[in-house]
Amino acid sequence: MWYKRYLPLVLVFLIGLLGFLTQYIPHWGSEEVVSYMARSLLIIVAFAMFIGAYSLLHMHLTRIRRQQAGWAYSLLVFVGATVMIAAGLYNEGTGPMPPLAPRGINTWLYDHVQVPCSATMFSILAFFIASAAYRTFRAKNLNALLLLIAAVIVMFGQVTISERFVNWGLYVANLFPPLHDFIVDGLGVTDTIFRKLAHFVMAAPNMAAKRGIMLGIALGAISQSLRILFGIERSYMGGGD
Amino acid sequence: MPETAITTVSDAELRWQLMIRRIIHLLLPIVVMVPFLCEIDMPGKPSPLVKQIYYDLEALEPGSVVLFSLDFDPGSQAELAPMTVAALRQCFKNDLHPIVMTHWFSGLGLHKRLLEETAEEFAPDKKSGRDYVLLGFRPGGQSVILSMGDSITGAFDKDYYGKITEGMDALKDVDSLRDIDYALVLSAGGTIDGMWIPYGSDRYGFPIGAGCTAVMAPDLYPFEQSKQITGIIGGLRGAADYEVLVGAPDDATSAMAAQSFAHLYIIGLVIVANIEEFVRKRSKKRE
Amino acid sequence: MPEAPLERASSTRQIVEIVAAVVLLTIFLGASAWRQSDGLSSGTLAGTAEALGIIIAAGLTLIMYSFLYRDNPFFKAVENLYVGVGLGYGAVMTWHQALKPEVVEPIILAPSFGALGSALIVRGVPILLGFMLLTRISRKYSWPSRYSYAIMIGWYAGMGIPITIHTFILEQVNAAINPLFAPGASPLATFLSINTQIIVLVGTVSVLYYFFFSLEHKGAGKVVSRVGIIFLMVSFGASYGYTVMARISLLIGRVDFLLYDWLQRPRP
Repeated sequence: MWYKRYLPLVLVFLIGLLGFLTQYIPHWGSEEVVSYMARSLLIIVAFAMFIGAYSLLHMHLTRIRRQQAGWAYSLLVFVGATVMIAAGLYNEGTGPMPPLAPRGINTWLYDHVQVPCSATMFSILAFFIASAAYRTFRAKNLNALLLLIAAVIVMFGQVTISERFVNWGLYVANLFPPLHDFIVDGLGVTDTIFRKLAHFVMAAPNMAAKRGIMLGIALGAISQSLRILFGIERSYMGGGD
Repeated sequence: MPETAITTVSDAELRWQLMIRRIIHLLLPIVVMVPFLCEIDMPGKPSPLVKQIYYDLEALEPGSVVLFSLDFDPGSQAELAPMTVAALRQCFKNDLHPIVMTHWFSGLGLHKRLLEETAEEFAPDKKSGRDYVLLGFRPGGQSVILSMGDSITGAFDKDYYGKITEGMDALKDVDSLRDIDYALVLSAGGTIDGMWIPYGSDRYGFPIGAGCTAVMAPDLYPFEQSKQITGIIGGLRGAADYEVLVGAPDDATSAMAAQSFAHLYIIGLVIVANIEEFVRKRSKKRE
Repeated sequence: MPEAPLERASSTRQIVEIVAAVVLLTIFLGASAWRQSDGLSSGTLAGTAEALGIIIAAGLTLIMYSFLYRDNPFFKAVENLYVGVGLGYGAVMTWHQALKPEVVEPIILAPSFGALGSALIVRGVPILLGFMLLTRISRKYSWPSRYSYAIMIGWYAGMGIPITIHTFILEQVNAAINPLFAPGASPLATFLSINTQIIVLVGTVSVLYYFFFSLEHKGAGKVVSRVGIIFLMVSFGASYGYTVMARISLLIGRVDFLLYDWLQRPRP
C-alpha cells in the first residue's frame, strides 16, 4: 500500500527539506515554522513517553504470563507503578487536576524509595571501578602505560590532597633553603602544580583527541541524516507492511 | 585463522580472585568513611574553569535572569546537587532571578526540593514567581529549547505549581531565550553538547556555563576552548571549588578528604597491581 | 544460565548466610530505632513519616549494596520495585507537566468555543499525530505511527545537518586553528601557548586520520595513525581518571546519607 510504505518516506524528505531550509532563510516566516514545529513536537513526544512505559510493562507482563525465571519479581514493577500512579491520581484527596500536593504520598515515595535506589544503583559502580583498577589496569604495553599515566595524573591532580602533598614536600625542602628556593623560584612549583598538570592533560592531548572524535561523529551524524532523508535508512518505519 | 589460547583457571585461583575482589570492595567504604568519622577537612583552591562561571554570575546586574537547566536525577545528585545549591545561593545573594527547568523528569522532585530548601534557608524573603521561577519539565528536548527561543512563557505557559507564567515578575523582562542573561546547565548526560549548545546558545546567543558529572567533563573541554561555553564545573571537585568561591563550604567541600583518600586507595591498587604484574613477568622470564 | 561454580552456595554456607542476614537485620532495626527515635516518637505525622522514610531509604540502600556480596532475592526485589516506582513517577510527571497543560486543559477543559477553536488550530495536528504514534503498540495496525515518526525524524534530521555543521565542525575547526603568537604575552606564556596549540592541532588531525579507514595506514600514514593512538590513549586515561572521581563521589553521597541522615551523626 502506497500510503503505508511510500508516503511516510516522501513526508520525511519534505519535512527534512523544510527543516534544512529554515536554517538558511533568515525570515520571520521561517522562524514561525521553526516555532510551530517545536511546539508540535513537544506535544507528540509527550505521547511517545507512553510507548516507552508500555514496552517496559509489556515485557514484565510477558514474563509473568509465561512464568519465566524470576517472574515474581516482575510483579513488584506493577506494584511500584500502581502505587505511584494511584498516589498521583489521589493527590491527597484533590484528584489529578490540581498541581501535585507538596507533601503527598507521591513525594514521599519519590524521596524515600526512588531517590535512594537510584543514587545507590549508580554508586555501586564505585566498587567495580576499584576492583577493575586492580585487575585490569596493568602496563602490559606502551599504550596501556600511557593510559595508566594519564589516569594517575588526573586522579591525583583532581583531589585536594595533592595540594597538601606539595606543601608537605616544600616544608621538608625548606630544611635546606637553597633547594626550596630553587623549587619555588627556579622551577615555579606551587601547591596546585599537580592540578595544573592534570588540567594540561585535559586541555591539550585529551581535548585534541576528543575534538578529533567529535568531528568524526559529526560527519557520521550528517551522513546518517542524509540516509534518513533519502529513504536509505528506514528502521524508524518499524516492521509490518 | 589464528589459534585462540584458552587459559584454564583453577578453582583455587578463582577463589583467590573472588576473595581479593571482596577485600577491595570491603576496604573502599572504610577508606571513604574514615575522613568523615575523623572529621578531616581538606578544602582546595578553585580551578580557573570554575572561577570563570563564578565571575560570569558575579558580573551580572541585580535583577538579571539566570536560566538553570537541571538535567540530572537522583542517580547523580551527589555530584550535581551541591553545585546547584552553591550557584542558587550566589544568585539569591546577588539578587539575580533564577529560572529553573529540566529535561529529566525523573529529577523534578529533587530539583523542586533543592530550589525550595535553598530559597527557604538562604533567602526567606524571596518568593516564587517574583524572585525565582520553577518552570518544571516539558518533553521534547531540542524542541523545548527551540520553543523557548520563540517564547519562554509559550513553552511553559504554567510553572511547576500550575501558576500562569505570563506576567510573573521574575519573567517580566524576558520574552525568549535571547533575553536570558546567562544559562547554567547542570547536566548528567547529553544536554549540554547535544541540546543547549547547538540549539540554544549557538542559535540565540546567550552565554552558557556548564556544570556536569565528572564522567562528562573531558568531553566538554573542546567547547570551552572554542568559547561555546564559558567554563566547566566538573564533578564533586568542581562543586567544592564553587562552594569555596561562594564562601559557603558545604557537602562538596566536606567530601574532599574522602574523595582524596579514595583516589589514593585506587592509585595504590594500580601500583600494587603493576608491581605484581612486573614480578610475574620477571619470574616467567626466569622460568 | 547456570550459576558460576563459586556463586553456588553449599548448604553450610546457606545457613551461615541466613544467620548473618538475621544478625544484620537485627543490627539495622536496632540502629534505626535508636538513632531515629526522636522522629518516630515525635507524635506528628510529618515527623514519623520522615523518620520512617529515612529508615526505609537506608534499608533499601543497604539491600542494594548486598549485591556486592552476591546477587540475591532482596536485591532483585528492590531493583524491580525501583523500576516500577520510577515508571509510576514518570507517568505522573508526564500527566502533570505535559499532557494536562498541553492537551487536556486547552482542549477538553477549554473555557469557551473560541478558545477551543484557537487551541485546535495550534494543537490539533500534533495531538492527532500523538494518537497516531500510539498505534505503534499494535503489530497489525502500526502504520499510522510511521507518519508521526516521519515528521519527528525528518525534522530533526533536516534541521540537524546545518546545526551539526555549525556547532561541531565549523566552530571546532575554527578553534583548532588559533594564532600562535598572542600580542603582549610574556615569553613563557607564549612558549606554553604555542606548544599547547601545536599539540591540539597535531592531536586532532592525527586522531581524525586514525579513524579514516578508506586509506591503508602505511609509511608516513602509519606514523600519523600511531600518533593518533597515543593521543587517544592519553584521552581514555584522562576519562578513566574522571570516571573514578564520578563513581567515588556517588559512593560518598550514600555514605553521607547513611552517616548523617540515617545514623544522625552531627555534621561538623
